[in-house]
Amino acid sequence: MNDGGYVGTAILLMALVTVVLRGLPFVAGRWLRRHAVIQKLGDSLPLSIMVLLLIDTAAGQARGHAGPPWPELICVAVVAILQWRTRQTLLSIVAGTLLYVALRGFTGG
Amino acid sequence: MARTPRNPLSVTSLTAPVAMGYIPLGAVFGFLFVQAGGSAWLALASSLLIYAGAAQFMMVPMLAAGLPVSAIAMATLVINLRHVFYGLSLLSSMPANQWRRAYSIFALTDESYSVLTALPAGARSQRMALVCALNQAWWVLGTAVGVWLGARAQIGITGIDFVLAALFAVLAVEQWRARRDVVPIWIAVVTYGIALALLPAQALALAIALSLLAALLRPARPIGTAHE
Repeated sequence: MNDGGYVGTAILLMALVTVVLRGLPFVAGRWLRRHAVIQKLGDSLPLSIMVLLLIDTAAGQARGHAGPPWPELICVAVVAILQWRTRQTLLSIVAGTLLYVALRGFTGG
Repeated sequence: MARTPRNPLSVTSLTAPVAMGYIPLGAVFGFLFVQAGGSAWLALASSLLIYAGAAQFMMVPMLAAGLPVSAIAMATLVINLRHVFYGLSLLSSMPANQWRRAYSIFALTDESYSVLTALPAGARSQRMALVCALNQAWWVLGTAVGVWLGARAQIGITGIDFVLAALFAVLAVEQWRARRDVVPIWIAVVTYGIALALLPAQALALAIALSLLAALLRPARPIGTAHE
């Protein structure tokens, strides 16, 4: 991450991709809303993608240590339950992450 | 101040909860970015120009691993795809002024979206740009705090990168709350299993493609079941 040109290029590309996605409905909203296919994707895809990103990230964490993925399973469950009950994003993330750090320290990393 | 302190629509009461979340989370981003070897001003540039929390957390390990920028752009596309569907539900309540409008579109994060959709439709267009700007200010401020801390303390905390998984879990819960539809969860679990068996190195990309296919193929939901 010492190469400013590489990191800078990545930042500009990410900014471009993000603003295009956020802008798309305002530029092509009528067209998008006319198509039942888009509605179908909107009903289903965002939740599927979030669950996939969650599984993939947690699995990546689990590969970083020996033994079964108990810390990941426990902490994801804690975050999900806290968020469901309280809607406090910060509380859910901080509590889950601190618990994860503690469990990893406890099990010897 | 003409406004009563308890007015649930005052801008302060709307963005205070966002500040409580964005300042610490922005700080974690700035901290991780600097600890991974990134420069302070590039961390701030990320929060000013990209302004998308999950994608910014994702970029740190990808940049540290030196992955190609095309892979990073593709990951951003996947993580932020949900924003297309946010905008669709706010189409009719955008500010009339074109600069405010453009900025609001740029800055429409998950938190801004949930604050704005909690407002009555009539109040949205007036408050949108201000709500978005305050929220981004909290995020940039948090990033600056994190950068400052990260440049001073070299503490490797095993497991702090779990914050990305925690953020995805939060976003998944909120998607679930909006739709209450269990099928997309099953689609994700099953397609990830299939993808892992077929192509372990590209499991996520293949699973997303399979989920897209499954979303297209599933029968339409009966009218009236979507919670909007």
